[in-house]
Amino acid sequence: MAKGIKDKVAIIGMGCTRFGERWDVGADGLMVEAFAEALADAGIERDRIGAAWVGNALDDINVGNSALPAAHALRLKQIPVTRVENMCATGTEALRGASYAVASGAVDIALAIGVEKLKDTGYGGLPLRTKGVQNDLWMPYGSAPGTFAQLAGAYAAKHGIDAADLKRAMAHVSWKSHQNGTKSPKAHLRKAIEMDKIIGAPLIADPLGLFDCCGVSDGAAAAIVTTPEIARELGISNPVTVKAIQLSASNGTELQFSDWDGASVPNTQAAAQRAYAEAGISDPRSEIDITEVHDCFSITELVTMEDLGLSDPGRAPADILDGRYDADGAIPCQLDGGLKCFGHPVGATGLRMVYEVYNQLSGRAGDRQKDNVRIGLTHNLGGAPFNSVAAVAILGRMD
Amino acid sequence: MDAYISSIAGYLPLLRLNRADAAREFSWAGLPLPRKGLRAVAGWDEDPLTMAVESARSLVDESAPDAIRFASTSAYFTDRAQSAIMLDALALPRTTRSSDVANTRRAGTSALLDALLAARDEIVAVAEKRDVQPGNPSQLAFGDGAAAIRTGTSGGARLVGHASLTHDFIDRYSSREHPTSYAYEERFARDVSIAEMLLPAVRAACESAGIEPSAIAQVAVAEPVGGCWASGARKLGIEATNHCATVSDNAGDLGAAHALYGFGLALHSAKVGDYVLLAGFGSGVDALIFVVERDVPGASAMAAALEEGDTLSGITRFLSLTGSIDIDWGMRSEFSQKAQATVLERIGRDMIGFIGGRDSTGNVQFPKSDIPVNPALGAVEKLEDVRLAEDTATIVSITADRLNFTPDPPFDFGLVQFDNGARVLMEMTDRPKGGFAVGQKVRMRLRIKSQNKALGFRTYFWKAAPLTRQQLGDA
Repeated sequence: MAKGIKDKVAIIGMGCTRFGERWDVGADGLMVEAFAEALADAGIERDRIGAAWVGNALDDINVGNSALPAAHALRLKQIPVTRVENMCATGTEALRGASYAVASGAVDIALAIGVEKLKDTGYGGLPLRTKGVQNDLWMPYGSAPGTFAQLAGAYAAKHGIDAADLKRAMAHVSWKSHQNGTKSPKAHLRKAIEMDKIIGAPLIADPLGLFDCCGVSDGAAAAIVTTPEIARELGISNPVTVKAIQLSASNGTELQFSDWDGASVPNTQAAAQRAYAEAGISDPRSEIDITEVHDCFSITELVTMEDLGLSDPGRAPADILDGRYDADGAIPCQLDGGLKCFGHPVGATGLRMVYEVYNQLSGRAGDRQKDNVRIGLTHNLGGAPFNSVAAVAILGRMD
Repeated sequence: MDAYISSIAGYLPLLRLNRADAAREFSWAGLPLPRKGLRAVAGWDEDPLTMAVESARSLVDESAPDAIRFASTSAYFTDRAQSAIMLDALALPRTTRSSDVANTRRAGTSALLDALLAARDEIVAVAEKRDVQPGNPSQLAFGDGAAAIRTGTSGGARLVGHASLTHDFIDRYSSREHPTSYAYEERFARDVSIAEMLLPAVRAACESAGIEPSAIAQVAVAEPVGGCWASGARKLGIEATNHCATVSDNAGDLGAAHALYGFGLALHSAKVGDYVLLAGFGSGVDALIFVVERDVPGASAMAAALEEGDTLSGITRFLSLTGSIDIDWGMRSEFSQKAQATVLERIGRDMIGFIGGRDSTGNVQFPKSDIPVNPALGAVEKLEDVRLAEDTATIVSITADRLNFTPDPPFDFGLVQFDNGARVLMEMTDRPKGGFAVGQKVRMRLRIKSQNKALGFRTYFWKAAPLTRQQLGDA
C-alpha cells in the first residue's frame, strides 16, 4: 500500500456558515461567509492561498458550472481553482484535492470549499433528470429516501430483525441527532423531537418516515490546509492533521452483480478499511473518539456503524438503542446534529463534518465539546447504497 | 390451404372499476350511466402498445411468425408503427413483416381475417385504451385490454367461412378534434346495425361455411349497442349466448379488441365440432365462422383473467388514470424527460427487448457493457444476448417511494435478482395489496417508462410485477 498522507497535511483554518433556508444570501455570499471565517481562523492573508478546490454537487440548478463562481465570489487572484463533484461526497472530495496538492508539495497552502444553494430552486431531494442517455431508458428515478430506504428491508431480512424493532432503532438515531442539534448554533434544525413523534411520522419511503430523513439546506463550509511545517511557522505548534482520506466508488457490482445482499454499503467498508490502514488504526472502536457520518437517513447511519466496524454485523440496532453513539455514549456520533439537524447543503456537507471534528479536536465546540477527543472520523456518502461514492477522513492532532 | 387459429391470448390490466359505485358518484347529474358489472382500467403506464405486447408475448415461441399486425383505434403514435415497437419488445427478427391497422373498431377482425386469408403464420395483436369523458356513458362502458391471435396452417380452430360488409355507418365516432367517442341515438344504431349489417354479414358467412346459422354453437359478436345482438340471434335462430357480453360485463367494451377477447371465451367454451361465430363491428362487419377441431391454447387463460384483478375503492383514482381530471402534483412533477433518437437507435432494441448479456463465465448482466461487471473478468469481451423479459426474479430490496413523482403513487422500486445472475434495479408495477416485499418473486411486464407530454413521446421498458394476481373479491 502507498504510504498515504498521514500527518503530511495540517488544517489551519475552517469556516462554516449557518445552514438552513438562507433566503438572505446567495451562493456567492455563502462562500464568502465560510471563507472569511476560515481565513480569520488561519490568520493568513487570502493571497497566500496557492490553489483552491471547490465542491458543488448540483451545479446546473444553483451555483453554476466550473470553478468560476467561487473564483469570482472569493476574488481569488488567478490561482488554480478546480471544481469537483462526487454527489453527496463532494465536500470531502474538495478536501481530498486540496490535501493531496499540499502533500505532494505542489502547493504550500490550499483552500477546500463546498457550497450548495438549493432553496432558490425548489429542489427537494429528487433525482435530477438527464437528457435521454442510456440509463434513462431503463433505470428507475427513485428519490434519495427511496434508494436508502431499501437498506432497511434488506437489513431486516438479513439479520432477522423485526421491522418494528428496526424502526425503533432508526428512530433513536434521529432522536439523538435532534438532541444534539439543540446545542449547535449553526444548525438548520434545533428542536428536540420525541421518539413517539418520530415513529409515528408520515411515511416518505417505506419504512422511512419524515424524521428518518434529512432535508436539504443552503450552506457552505471551508478548510485551509498546509504542511505541518508551515503551520508551525504560522504559530500553530500542534495542528490538527489529516490522518487519512480515502474514497471508494462503485463499479456497478452492487447494482448488476449478485453477491451483495443490499444490507450494507460496500464502499463505506472499503473506504474505511483503507483509511484505517492509512491512519494506522487497528482497533477503531477504541481508537476513534467521535464520528460525523453521513446520516442522510436514519437507516444509513445505522448501517454505517457496522460498515465502519464500530458495531458488529447485526448489532447496530442494539448498540444504538443502548446509547453507544449518543452524545454521552462511548463513541458519540453527530455531535453537531449531523445531516439530520445541522443540515445538508450537498457540496458543503463533507467539510461541515470536518468542521465539527476540527472544533472538537481544538476544544472549541462550545456546549457540545467532549473531553479528550484525540481522533475523529468523518464519513461522507454520495449516491445510493447500490451505486455510491464513499469518503472517509480521519483527523487528529499532530502529536 | 386451410387457415387456423393456432393459439390465442388476452390481456386485461390489474384494476377494475365497479360501475355501480362510479354511477352513484354521478347520480346528482341525472345522467344515464351503465351500472352493471366492472370496467377494466389500465395503469398510468399502460397503453395499447404495452397491452398488445402483453397479450402477444405468450404466442411467441422459438419460430418467428411471418408477420405481426397491430390493431387499435387508440394507438399513441400516429407516425411511428406500434407494430415495429412491438416487434422489438417481442425480440422478433427485423425481417418479420409488420403492419398497423386502425381507425375502426373492426380493425381487429379485419387484421385477423387478412392473416387467415393469407394462410400464414402471423400474430395479430389488438389493444385499446380509449380516451373517455366524464358523464359520457362510454367512460364506464368502455374497458382497457387486449387480445392476440396466432394464425397458421394448423391449429385448434379452422376458418370455414367468412363475409365482410363495408358500410360507412356512424353509430359513434372519434376524431382529432373530438378524441373521445361521440355516440348517436342508441335505437338508431341498434336497428340499422342489426338489419343492414350484422344479419346480412352473418348469413353470408354461414352460407360461405355451408352451414345454417342455427348450427352455430358459440358466438362472439361485438355489438354496437349492448344487448342488441339478441334480436339478430333470434332472427337467425342462433341460441348461443354472446361471449362478448360477458367481456362487456366483466371488463368493458374493449373496442377493436372486444370481438377477439369474446372469441377467446367462445373457444374456451367450445367442444370439438362446434361452429363458432366471430363478428367485428365498425364501419361495417367482418363475420368469420370457425369449426373447432381441438383445444386452442390460451383460451382458458382468457376466461380466468376475467376473474382476476383489484377493484378501485374510489372514483378519483379512476378519473386520474383515465385522464378525466388533471391533478396538480406540485413542483415535484415539474421535469422533462426527453428521449434521444440517437440513443434509441444505438441501444433501444436491447432496452425494449430486455436483452442482457452473458459473459464468458456464464454470468448474465443487464445492461450489457464492454467490460463485464463480473469481478472475475477484467478485459473487453463480446457478450452473448440473453432475453430477460420472460424470466422470473426475486426482490432483493424494495421501497414504496412517496416522495418521487409518479402519476399513481407510490413509486415502488428496488433491486431484483434473476436466477441467471442478472441483477437489475427496477420499477415495480401492478402493486399488490400490502405492497411488495424482500424475497417476493416477480415477473416482467412491458410498461411506459417515461413520457414527455410536451413533445408527445414516450419510452417503454420492463417493470417487475407479482407473479400472479389476486382473484376479484379477495380482501
